[in-house]
Amino acid sequence: MNEGVIPITNLQLAFSIVLVLLAGGVSAALRLGLLKSLLWGTIRTVAQLTLIGYALVYIFALENLPLVIVIILFMCAIAARTASRHTKDSLGGSGVLAFIALLASTFLVGTIVVVLIIGPEPWYSARIAIPIFGMILGNSMNGIALSLDRLYSEVRARTGEIEALLTFGATPWEAVRDCIRKAMRAGMTPTVNSLMVVGLVSLPGMMTGQILGGVDPVEAVRYQIVVMLMIAAAVALGCLLLVGMSYRRLFNRDGALIREVRGSR
Amino acid sequence: MALLEINKLNYQLGNRNQYVKVDAELPGGGVLLVQGPSGAGKSTLLRLLARLQEAGGGEALLQGKSWREYPPNRWRLLVHYLAQKPALFEGTVLENLRLPFSTALLKAGAKFDQDRAESLLEQMLLSKNILAQDARIISGGEAARVALTRALLISPVVLLLDEPMAALDVKTHQAVQELLINWVKGRQDRGIVLVSHVDDPSGWPGALTFDIQPITLEGM
Repeated sequence: MNEGVIPITNLQLAFSIVLVLLAGGVSAALRLGLLKSLLWGTIRTVAQLTLIGYALVYIFALENLPLVIVIILFMCAIAARTASRHTKDSLGGSGVLAFIALLASTFLVGTIVVVLIIGPEPWYSARIAIPIFGMILGNSMNGIALSLDRLYSEVRARTGEIEALLTFGATPWEAVRDCIRKAMRAGMTPTVNSLMVVGLVSLPGMMTGQILGGVDPVEAVRYQIVVMLMIAAAVALGCLLLVGMSYRRLFNRDGALIREVRGSR
Repeated sequence: MALLEINKLNYQLGNRNQYVKVDAELPGGGVLLVQGPSGAGKSTLLRLLARLQEAGGGEALLQGKSWREYPPNRWRLLVHYLAQKPALFEGTVLENLRLPFSTALLKAGAKFDQDRAESLLEQMLLSKNILAQDARIISGGEAARVALTRALLISPVVLLLDEPMAALDVKTHQAVQELLINWVKGRQDRGIVLVSHVDDPSGWPGALTFDIQPITLEGM
């Protein structure tokens, strides 16, 4: 069963230019104005992936724990920045909270998966840890961005109701509990949906990669199950942490909505 | 001792270079009518008194005790603000009336009294059939009275009312006004601060008035 990877030679790689020409042809024919971006994108894809390929060879060979941690921290920082940047009209400092939420959820779930479930030798093996943490981050990044966005938009849309609840003696938590629930659902729904359709609609990238790499599909599936469940856990935890830390910032020390949220009223 | 004492409370008006300074007193059993041109910050004053916004300075005292000595959510129950646009939640009118009693603070000390709710609605010319209706589709005048009923049910000490009559016709206006006058009359532990452009002091026997006069800051 295990036939190993079929290597792609430089010549074969160059041949994939045909695929870019195909996309370029569509863009030119319909004057989409994408030719320049397409060219630049192609160059970046080749360059970034080639560089990261060599970097990973080097990093895997070193097997150095501090280096692995630094790389994961760096990945967290980029993911936090991406997640909070896409959030419309968020208040300053969301990036820091996103970083804390991602760091805590990713480290907890990632460590459980790497150390307890996969158990490589050494336990901090970069070849296992970096791709696993990368997959967790990629997914929880989207999840927390959705939930943060939803939290802000819900609260903004319902300032009248929230302030009414405050006048009934509600604490900030009681006043926004419904919004928090909606935000959590928004963040977790894509992951829960993907648990439903995985294998039916899509073969996930990791599993596909392993199969192309010559791994027995039955083995690849076992890895994929672990990955799906770890993503679900990390997204849930990440959303909870971020929403839990963020909602309080919408209130002042008197527990009333801050001006930025309630608008000009 | 006044029921509610407003002490050098000041606040800025929007982006304009104007500020308002308020010194006023509401005696027990009394009504304080806040007057002033539109945009003078009448609603803001009520929101400040409810601690829904922070003032630039000054304080309010309830029965001689500064608002700083109350937890904000306890204060908001005692000095209860009713917005001009009543906030009704998804669900029936009855569920809306019960809603305040789901907060931890109220759940501990009070219980929803449906008989009292029905009697209040009736005094405001609403039949109890409205209880089963969807709160989102009742008319503006009905919504205003439902929200007022909800506010009265939590038994505040001071009721801060922002244009409570704006959506009412003459007949219901009279009924609501009568109810409010009876609610405070002779009660040392109750008072009303009212912002209204349809009411003049003559309709409120014994009411005090306070005129808001924004001061323009120079050199800004």
